[in-house]
Amino acid sequence: MAEPAPPAEELALRRRLPPRLPRRPGDVYVNMQTDFRAQLSRCRKLLGPGGGCAEIWIHGLGLAIHRAINIALQLQAAGAGALRLAPSTSTVELADGLEPPGHPDGRPPLARARNNSAIHIRVCRAPPTP
Amino acid sequence: NTSMCWEINVKDYVCTHDIEGCAGCWGSFQEMPASTFAQARAAEINAMLKAVTQKSSNSLVFQTLPRHMRRRAMSHNIKRLPRRLREIARKEAEKAVHQKKEHSKNKCRKARRRHVNLVVEFNRRQKKNIWLETHIWHAKRFHMVKKWGYCLGDRPTTKSYRACYRAMTKHCLLQDLSYYCCLELNGKEEELLKVLARMCSIDTGPTFAAVPCLSGRLQGSLVLYRADRYPEDVLGPITFIWKPKDGSGIPYETRQLWIWTHPSLKQDILTELKAVFQCSEPVETCSPEPIVTLLQEEKQTDVAMSVSKKRKREDHEGEKAVPVKKIIGDGTRVPLQSYCWTSQTTGVVISDLTMEILRYRLIGPLSHCVLTEALKTASVQTEMADAETELNNWWVENCKNSEKVSLHQRQEAIFELLQGISSPSEIAAGTILGLTVGDPRVNLPKKRSKAMPNPEKYQDNEKVRQLLLEGVPVECAHSFIWDQTICKNVTENKIPEQDLNHMRGELLVPGSQLDLGPRESKIPILLVQQPGKVAGEDRPGWGSGWDIYLPKGWGMAFWIPFVYRGARVGGLQEGLKHSEYKRTPHVPNDFPDCPAGIQFAKELENILLEKFKRRPPAKRANYVKLGTLAPFLCPWGQLTKDWEVRNKTQEESVVTSSADSKSCATESQVPCDLKPGLMIEDSQGDMMEEMTKIQNLCKEDGAATSSGFFVLRSRKLLKQLSAWCRPTCGKGQRARPASKLGQKEMTEDALLPIFKCYPQVLVWVSLSLLRKGSPELHAMICIPTQEDYLQLNKDQLFCGPQEPKHSDIFKHKILKLKERKKNNRKALESGASDALEAKAVEEPKELILGLWPDPLPDVTSHCSRILLGFVTQGDFSLAAGCGEALGFVNLTGLLHMLSSQPADKKGLVLLRTPASLQYRFARLNIEV
Repeated sequence: MAEPAPPAEELALRRRLPPRLPRRPGDVYVNMQTDFRAQLSRCRKLLGPGGGCAEIWIHGLGLAIHRAINIALQLQAAGAGALRLAPSTSTVELADGLEPPGHPDGRPPLARARNNSAIHIRVCRAPPTP
Repeated sequence: NTSMCWEINVKDYVCTHDIEGCAGCWGSFQEMPASTFAQARAAEINAMLKAVTQKSSNSLVFQTLPRHMRRRAMSHNIKRLPRRLREIARKEAEKAVHQKKEHSKNKCRKARRRHVNLVVEFNRRQKKNIWLETHIWHAKRFHMVKKWGYCLGDRPTTKSYRACYRAMTKHCLLQDLSYYCCLELNGKEEELLKVLARMCSIDTGPTFAAVPCLSGRLQGSLVLYRADRYPEDVLGPITFIWKPKDGSGIPYETRQLWIWTHPSLKQDILTELKAVFQCSEPVETCSPEPIVTLLQEEKQTDVAMSVSKKRKREDHEGEKAVPVKKIIGDGTRVPLQSYCWTSQTTGVVISDLTMEILRYRLIGPLSHCVLTEALKTASVQTEMADAETELNNWWVENCKNSEKVSLHQRQEAIFELLQGISSPSEIAAGTILGLTVGDPRVNLPKKRSKAMPNPEKYQDNEKVRQLLLEGVPVECAHSFIWDQTICKNVTENKIPEQDLNHMRGELLVPGSQLDLGPRESKIPILLVQQPGKVAGEDRPGWGSGWDIYLPKGWGMAFWIPFVYRGARVGGLQEGLKHSEYKRTPHVPNDFPDCPAGIQFAKELENILLEKFKRRPPAKRANYVKLGTLAPFLCPWGQLTKDWEVRNKTQEESVVTSSADSKSCATESQVPCDLKPGLMIEDSQGDMMEEMTKIQNLCKEDGAATSSGFFVLRSRKLLKQLSAWCRPTCGKGQRARPASKLGQKEMTEDALLPIFKCYPQVLVWVSLSLLRKGSPELHAMICIPTQEDYLQLNKDQLFCGPQEPKHSDIFKHKILKLKERKKNNRKALESGASDALEAKAVEEPKELILGLWPDPLPDVTSHCSRILLGFVTQGDFSLAAGCGEALGFVNLTGLLHMLSSQPADKKGLVLLRTPASLQYRFARLNIEV
């Protein structure tokens, strides 16, 4: 009695949220919706005198990678040598939900795995260089 | 003459300084006869006396006394009043006594607050409107409303609009959705599916037969229609859960299906289900239990009454007085009526499980933390606590089977994994997880705390990955909550709060963890993931969370632990906001084509009209002048009809001059180049076939389609429309070739069949304002003119055009009517009978100043901009940071607008709130 599976192009891909770790006060997840200046000023505030963070982590995923790099570089440029960057990259596994999920035979795949690159930049105050 | 003299007379006594000026009068005074003078004075004195004795003001007698004569407690003790006023005061006091309610003042407060009497009182009050189990908790903290036969919390009494929003996005918002109704269908799978397929359509999305839902892994949601009536006659949206198969592999197994509906839709859906399944015979099995409880209750109320009469009850009687049972579940049920129906031919059983299963909703990313901290999975138990009680006997029975124990352990493992997932939206939408948990009251924290994610639990392990990709396995969706006997057992064998506290008090180390051991109750529950925002581009997964289903009787036992873990509680208003930010239609506000939606709109109109009429005419908006035809009720029927007429006249004009269609074609050719020619033909061919099919369908019941409007819910067409609504070129738009989705172009051939098939159709749209403005309820969605686009191009800060002021053509009429009424009244007073007749003849419909009387003119072209639709939810959106609105537009109008819009301005509309002349630009989106 199962309904016939709709053709492949009709399966709507619903992108789910990427997995993320619990957020410490110094974690900044960069996205493409928020204004660039707002994100930059947020990082600045965190690093500034009242921010209370000795180091911050800027995370960028996929399209937002270049923006994360941009923010970090701008911070460094504005910091006049007082900040040090320590970038690291990783691969994040994303899941895309399929809707309407349904396959007549066997276990229907609910999600499709997909990999995307991510960057994590640690920005910390550099020790006074001799 | 006499009055003149009186004046002089007074002057004679009172003022002496002006005598010489009046000297000329003296002569006439002496000529006056004494009798007439005395008569006139007597009348005046009478009037004065009357005025003195009858007080004209609304105040009580003792309030009229001058301040120095007032005494303490005058209102209670009339003997404190001056003797001359006592009689009047006595009468007033009597009146006041009559006006007061005869309320239970006969009992003192202490007696009223005694537990037995309280429960009796609560039970009495629950007979009319159903109380949720958290009612008392809510009543202390919420504005309560009576809706749909329930008492529900509307909004918190504290200021928490923004705090609730924050809880939804960052923390956890808790809602009691126990008022949602559960209908259970029991029968052979084939039989159920065959009939239910008639009530929904695959066009609108996955149906009851979708594989993951049918296996019991996922919760499904769909819109029900009257049997074989798609796309008209909507019954309403539902969610459904199939009980997972036992795994025995029998093909013709009986299956259990839960259909969850909103209470306003329940009656319609239930009657339709009963009719479709031919279930008419009530099943007797359900009825005996409520009778017994009722009889008991009556007896007990009697006992309680007798107890309360005697202030100090004697000991032996007190022992007899068994505490009255609290009502658990639906208190309004009629005892002899059955809530279970079966059919002779198919054997399908429909039962109404309203208030049998409780449902709480947790919204927000921290709902995982709240759930995992508040609930502890039940420990495996192989020995009974007491041989006599039935407590946990089902669980002990279950634990003897090693397979079932391993299943329980797997469920437990998955539940533990949830801690390592930071948001519910990472899991597949509608995932079901069955669970058996221990008593959540046992590990209640001492203080209210906030559950925070534990970083240690976040391990990038394989198991979490598997859970995210493959979801919860089918077996783990199994829960004992499906078994009604177990639920009943669990409800009846709950340890009362009092006993639990007593045991806590007897602990050796005060404040240490209570260990009930084998006596701890085991409660079967069901966890269902609620997908948040699934449609649209921005904020994916916003507002996702978990629903928790509990057996009845355990409401407060789970509620308090959740609240103590930092969940903020919201009411109906918060639910409305949640769906608004998710951009999903809210039940029943946004279902104008289903009976509950129509009913809701009517009620809303009455409320708004009453509110409008309460203000003085000069202080309220004159909607006639503002050009708002229907500020309180959206005239969907007339809107669709007017557009149909408009479309017909336009078609005729198009036939004569095809210039319009040419321009349309040239526009659409721009993105056309992007895609391979073959594809177009293919997809168009497909679509044309589809269209002809639909057309045939429409012809079959063509008579019915013309009768009323309905809302478009076909996924395919909505996707098509959604693609057409997006601007095809312009700033900030990445090239999104339409061909990618197999979409076809917006040409005359594509539009014509749609016009033909869906003449009176509404489409659910979401609007976000470009700049200023926050839309309101019933705001109008209009089509911009060419000049508006030009102005917008010229001036980036252009807010929008203004509607020219209309003239109030009814004002004159109303004034005339008023005058005539006045005249009539005068005539009546004079006693002329012909005036009465005249009045009976002419009594037109009541005209209200500022409102358009009932037969509305053409709604689409009443204002300077052509009307497209109305807003049903609109507000400043905290989530988007700008004004956002949700509403319906007419499909014909929408297509006309889109075909005439320039490519970079596609989907741009104007919004105008009912009480304003200012139009504002907004972007229209259709999210599928």
